[in-house]
This record gives sequence, C-alpha cells and structure tokens, in this order.
Amino acid sequence: MKIHTIIFLLVATMHLQAQNQISGASFLDRTEFKIGYYGNIAWDNGLTIGTEYVWKEYINIKERKRGQKIITHQFLFNGNLGYSTNFSTQTDNGLSTYYGLIWRRTNPKGKQYNVELNPLGYYRSFLPETYEVKGDRVSKVSLPGRGYYAPSIAVGIGKLRKGKKRSGWYLNLQLTLRTNYNAGTLPVLSLHYGHRFNFKRKR
Amino acid sequence: MKKIILSKVKIAVLIVIVLNVFSCSKDDDNINDLGETIFVRHKNADMAAYIHGNASEKVFLIILHGGPGGSGWQYRKNTIKSKIEKNNAVVYFDQRGSGNSQGSYSEADVSVDIMAEDVLALVKVLKAKYGDDSRFFLMGHSWGGTLGPATLLKNQEDFLGWIDVDGAHDPKGSYNEYKIALKKMADEQVALGNNIDYWKAVLDLVKNVGPDYNEDDFYKMNREAYRAEEKLADDKVINKPISDDNGSQYNFFTNTWNANRIQSILVKKGLFQKVSFTNRLHEITIPSLVLWGKYDIGVPTVYAQEAYDNLGSNQKELFIFEKSAHSPMDTEPDLFAEKVIDFINLHK
Repeated sequence: MKIHTIIFLLVATMHLQAQNQISGASFLDRTEFKIGYYGNIAWDNGLTIGTEYVWKEYINIKERKRGQKIITHQFLFNGNLGYSTNFSTQTDNGLSTYYGLIWRRTNPKGKQYNVELNPLGYYRSFLPETYEVKGDRVSKVSLPGRGYYAPSIAVGIGKLRKGKKRSGWYLNLQLTLRTNYNAGTLPVLSLHYGHRFNFKRKR
Repeated sequence: MKKIILSKVKIAVLIVIVLNVFSCSKDDDNINDLGETIFVRHKNADMAAYIHGNASEKVFLIILHGGPGGSGWQYRKNTIKSKIEKNNAVVYFDQRGSGNSQGSYSEADVSVDIMAEDVLALVKVLKAKYGDDSRFFLMGHSWGGTLGPATLLKNQEDFLGWIDVDGAHDPKGSYNEYKIALKKMADEQVALGNNIDYWKAVLDLVKNVGPDYNEDDFYKMNREAYRAEEKLADDKVINKPISDDNGSQYNFFTNTWNANRIQSILVKKGLFQKVSFTNRLHEITIPSLVLWGKYDIGVPTVYAQEAYDNLGSNQKELFIFEKSAHSPMDTEPDLFAEKVIDFINLHK
C-alpha cells in the first residue's frame, strides 16, 4: 500500500509539473503509448504496456554545407506495467511496474538513443500453491507471492516515425535491481522491444 | 495499416495468454504419478518443492541438494526420475536462497540451523497436504549431507531413514582432508601413469596451500577436486557422468546469483571453520544408508567410513561405488537406484 501511495504521489507530481512547463502542444500531442516484449528470451518472457509524456524538449540546429542538421533532445516521463513468466514452469511469474525519466536524442533521420532512469519500481511475484508454516500451524496462503522494490536503468536505441500514428520503435537493455531478495539485491537484465503510438496523429 | 497493426497486437496478446494458461495449468495430481510444484513459506522465505512420482503408499523421499546454493530440480534425472519415482514419490526441494526460492530476509535469517528448520517445515506442509500418515525418507548429497544431520538432530521422528550420499557432515575438517585426499589421489594416478602433468600440478597446489584454513586456498582445492573428476573420467578410472537433466526449470542468472549469495553468507558465518556434526552423528538412530563414490575428493572418501562408524543407528549400511567420485547418481545410476529403492522398501 505504501509503495502504491508513493508511486501515485510521484506520478501526480510529475504530471502537474509537466503541465506547467508545456506550452503549445496538447496533452495528447505530448503523450505516446507503447506496447512491447520484455524478458531475457531464454527463461522469462512478458508483455509490457506504458506511456511517455514529453516534459522538456530542446532542439539544436546546426548549419551544414548540405543544409540544417536538427538534433532533438527530449526528457520524458515514463510509466510502465508488465507481466512476465517462464512458460515452462510455474515458478517465475510476476507483475512489474516502474516510473521515471527518459532522456532521448533524435537525429534528423529519426534514429534515437534512449537512457532511462526509473527510480520507482515494484515487482510482485506470483507463486503457485503455497503453505505457510508458523510453529506447528500450517495454513494455505491466498494470492501467494512477494513484492519487491525494483528500480531500474535502461539504455537503448529506437526510430522515430514522424507524424505517424505508430510513432516509432525502441530496443532497450534494462537492468533492474530487485530488493530485498533472498538477503540481497538481485540484478535482473532484460531486453525490451516495442512500438510507440500517438493516437492523436492521423496516419 | 491501422487494422494490420491492431490484428498483430491482438495475435501477440492472444499467444501470451494461451501460453500463460498452459504454463499455469494444474499439474497431474494423480497420486500414482504426481507432478506438483508447491512453495513452503517459512521465516520470510518462499521455497519451491517439486513433488513427482508414485505417492500411492504416501512414501516420500526428500532430496537435499548440494552447494550450498545448488538446486532441487537438478536431481530429477537419470534413474532418480526413471526408477526411484516409480517406487515412491520424490520431493526435490529448493533450499532457502537457492534455485527458484525467494523471500525477503536478512543475513541473520540464513544459517544451517534455520535451513534445517525449513526442511522440517516442508515435512509439516507435506503432511498437511497428503495426510498425517505420510512417511518420509531424507537424502542429502554433498552439502545436503550437512543439512541432513542438522535436520535430523532437531527432529528425526518424522523420518523412516537417512540416506547420506557423499555428504559433508564435517565441513570444518574438509580443508585438511582436501590436502590429504588430493595428494593421495595424485600419487596414485602418477604411479599409474595417468595424466601425469596434471596430477603433478595438483601436488604442487597442495604443497603451496597454507597450513590452516583460508578461503582462497579452500576454493582452489575445492575447484581442483571437481576438475580432477574430469581427469579420472578421461582415464576411465570412473564412469563419465550421464545426465538427462532439463535445466530449463531455472533462470540461469537468478540461479547463479542465488548460489553465490547463499554460499557466501554461510561461508562468511564460518561454515568451513566452525560446522561439524561428526561428534553428534551417534544421536541419529533411524536406519541409515551411506553411499559414496570410491574416488570422491569433493567430500573425500574417508568421510564415508567416518559417517558409517559414527551414525547411531543399529540398522545401517555403507556402500562404495567403485566407478564413481562425488556423484554416483550420475556415474552409476542403475546401481544407485537399486541401493536407494532397496533401502526404502526395507524400511518403509
């Protein structure tokens, strides 16, 4: 409950701050939705959905012999929700959600570099039939599993499809730290591949 | 374009859902051929237990894996799967901090003592699930041979028998025994003309380790003990290990991290400096079977006789596998299953 409250407050704060600094473009113009794969291919595989909101945007224009070179730097608020599983077992199912900031550089051809920092992350595992033992008492656990604080960082590439409804794709390598996990902090590496959508656009 | 994308997304979502449904489908709970995965929650840890085989007589063999930091499922192979599971049910248990087990606890919650309580908690869960008339045998391999005695010394009433497979009942003494066993094996193999350069290097290693325990030298010898098995297999002194293990049960990265973490905590707490059950083995009075590979250096063969001599049971047996080292279940699987099944059927 505590973690949910923190996440809600942060997202709400970010949203208000973002609105204050946006000029011109509407909320939907600045918002993209994304859906994609995440996992490590071999064991854990899942689906993630999320949203990105442009907070700040800087455009550098460089004069070149062949014309202008426009480089765009963006800071975006980022929120994701995903579910992953190991299809061959019943022991590695989990829901993850994380929130943070993305820095993105886009070159004139639409090629992008992304760096994500997601300080707010939460992973909830779902276990099969589980029994709790306290002294001599054995009881069945309802909705078995555990919650972990799971901040993450990610780096990756992508491609902008300017003016399109399917506005681009991304491929990120993400490092998540799951803690407190088995008396320590478990590093989890995952690949993220997906597409972004802007429903405000026509095509 | 919109329709194409939407249909692709729908298909992808559908595939994920269908695969997930299959992955979560209830296992076959036929009592003659169990295939269930349950978790035991105890002292802030959720530990996986994979229960397979014939439970028609409610006889369960609980296997304690090696390590620390091994995994339960790695034993579900060869004749354990093809023969022992036909005779009785087998419970492959991922210990605290190992395999697919998870939890939120501190280093203070990791000790041999608490891990032994975890095993007793597993027994309570199995009784609650399958009935109080369930009967249990305990098998420990390698580090499982440390955890097994620790468990039985807390409570052996629930167990009909103890099977010690190359078990480390005296981790404290293993540093010096490594030196003796490696030197002895190297001398023998040099005399036989087997892999002479390798075994001479082993003799050099033994000469250069410190007289008293230190972690670096301990792990140098520990690694060499397992490397030596490969050389022994190359020279046909022991059989080559067989494995039809399906390793996909575990996420390699999580499993490796778990193994390193749990082992480092236990070692830091003095596993190889303080822990020994040699002087308390006489308190274990249930029927006992001691199984050992003749060429084991990982847990040197001298411990086989020591375990047999010190166990307090008046129904005990020692059997040495002539073509095996640390893992006879992999090198002489048929004979291994025969010994285990005979023991269980005699005492069940």
